Amino acid sequence: MKRFISSHRSRAALVHPGDSSHLGLVVRIMAALVRIRSVCCRGVSPLLFRSCSLIRPLAVQKKDRDCPYLISAKIHATPSSYAGSGSKAASLHWTGERILSIVLLGLAPVAYFYPVPAVDYSLAAALTLHGHWGLGQVVTDYVHGDFKIKMANAGLFLLSTVTFAGLCYFNYHDVGICKAVALLWSK
Amino acid sequence: MALLLRTVARQGLCLSRSQFGVLYRHAVPMGTTAKEEMNKFWAKNTQLNRPVSPHVSIYKWSIPMMMSISHRGTGVALSSGISAFALAALVLPESYPYYLDLIHSMTFGPQFLAFSKFALAFPVAYHTFNGIRHLAWDLGKGFKIPEVYRSGYIVIALTVLTSIGLAAM
Repeated sequence: MKRFISSHRSRAALVHPGDSSHLGLVVRIMAALVRIRSVCCRGVSPLLFRSCSLIRPLAVQKKDRDCPYLISAKIHATPSSYAGSGSKAASLHWTGERILSIVLLGLAPVAYFYPVPAVDYSLAAALTLHGHWGLGQVVTDYVHGDFKIKMANAGLFLLSTVTFAGLCYFNYHDVGICKAVALLWSK
Repeated sequence: MALLLRTVARQGLCLSRSQFGVLYRHAVPMGTTAKEEMNKFWAKNTQLNRPVSPHVSIYKWSIPMMMSISHRGTGVALSSGISAFALAALVLPESYPYYLDLIHSMTFGPQFLAFSKFALAFPVAYHTFNGIRHLAWDLGKGFKIPEVYRSGYIVIALTVLTSIGLAAM
């Protein structure tokens, strides 16, 4: 019986978690067929209680040093799968970016119809933050190397701070953003 | 038989999602994060001074590609413009209406004014409309290739019309 099972194992194909392509479907069908056969030989009950031990991931980049004769899948597991809760920071950042974009989109007509100081300062904050996060993505895409990344982000933070300070100064001591655009367009 | 096949396949699908560590007995979680791996890749390849294969210089440009980089380009340009404006507000001694009148006294005719309004409105309009297109993608909509092209053409048309309309105001 053991020999029979191992022959099935050797025929197992590439399995990738969360695979939704056609290959994944083929694999699942193959795995199902493998299990059907085992059902015919051993009955249904072992199949229902055991996990899918007949599937073995075959993806291999380099030989696993611990078990040189066994092939294993090297996967990136977030800390949440083996050591408590992980960080949702990146995901929340992404969501925050989209929400801010929508807020900024809504601010435009408000600024046109209600050019008041509250809108001026909201516009200053939203524009600066949207630009800061946007340029942050550009840095992430094109800047590589720990030190360079740190320097670029520090420079960006400085730029954004100065930008926000300048816009607030303009709102307080000068005509304000809404009025500035109106004046620019009036000529 | 087909029912059994389907239930068994579905069972495999559900199990593969939840019992991650148990299911793949030979799946080894790596000690490094994806970010660390990427850094290692860049460090190694820049240190070895490996040449990069031509990519943007040889691949045929498509409308979606051009629109994507234009979205980034307009974003960077607008951000720089806002930062320059803020810096000027902090540094320059006089008020905004003063400098506006100064520029107007130097203008080269009404066409210059209309053109400069168009030049300001165009990147704002493009980035805004393409931004809405991006938000639609973030909701999962409009990824089919004909849809990508169609929404792209709509963004371009709206941008041109809005910029002309704003410049005329």
